Amino acid sequence: MNQPLSLKSAERKVFQTTFADGLLDIFMGCFVLLFAVAPFLSESMGDFWSSAIFLPFWGLVYLAIWLIRKYVVAPRLGTVRFSQRRKLKLRRFSLVMVVTNTLLLILGILAVIGFGKEAGSGFIDISSAYVYLLGLFLLVGFSVAAHLLDCPRFYVYGLMLALAGPVGEWLYIDYGAAHHGFPITFGFTAAVMIFTGLALFIRLLINNPPVDGQGI
Amino acid sequence: MGDVPSDPRLNSLAKIDQVIHAPARLMILTYLYVVESADYVFLMRLTGLTWGNLATHLNKLEETGYVEVQKGFNGKKPQSTLRMTDQGRAAFRAYKKNMVQILDDLPD
Repeated sequence: MNQPLSLKSAERKVFQTTFADGLLDIFMGCFVLLFAVAPFLSESMGDFWSSAIFLPFWGLVYLAIWLIRKYVVAPRLGTVRFSQRRKLKLRRFSLVMVVTNTLLLILGILAVIGFGKEAGSGFIDISSAYVYLLGLFLLVGFSVAAHLLDCPRFYVYGLMLALAGPVGEWLYIDYGAAHHGFPITFGFTAAVMIFTGLALFIRLLINNPPVDGQGI
Repeated sequence: MGDVPSDPRLNSLAKIDQVIHAPARLMILTYLYVVESADYVFLMRLTGLTWGNLATHLNKLEETGYVEVQKGFNGKKPQSTLRMTDQGRAAFRAYKKNMVQILDDLPD
């Protein structure tokens, strides 16, 4: 007990263990992959299916994460039921994620439909305003999540995602990067999220061997 | 040696709950106080106590009525869930209040 006793910090520590496994980072990284990969897929699969194909992909990733949590993480970290205050925060987080993901999916589909078409002929124009709006929206969504989950690295993800659009546009205009530079910028951000999650998960496996229940 | 006159300001020291005051149990109760329930593994990871040490302290806390152990199963594996009782929460709050008072009264 080298640290001063603080109920608030104790509660925070308990809550933060939930995200120590890195699996949420991996899931969100897989979500961001849509923006990086869909533009390529749209050439062969069409605009709609290039995005729609991600739904079963996310479903599989979610299922895999659920199984890993149940059979790999829980025996190592144990299980906890949070206080009512935290449960309320988690419900707010879930709401934020549902709204964010739904709107992002819509924006992503609209963006993909707009890609590869001449300005004015697509469903929407890929304008600077749209890119900045997407960036701002991602920044706000991730910042709210970071705040509600007490997980500071989500602020960094939000910032990276907010910059991905404008930087992609810059790469597109100045260097002719394909698909508005989205595969590069969103791909890089997705890679950072997924590798961070993997690193956290591997660290968890190394530092926390499974505990023999010994019947109690 | 004559009797040392008792200092009434230190009377609150006698009120300290010795069950809670042990560092390991204080740690366990602190974590249980801020959650609804947790299992053995979770507490072991958080407190850094060994399995045997944790079980010993939890037995003491269960005997005192501060902690309740609910035995169940997670699939086919036995899993015990621990939660702080209302009596435990009240005792923890009283302990906290006493400690704050004692430490506040100490001279700098």
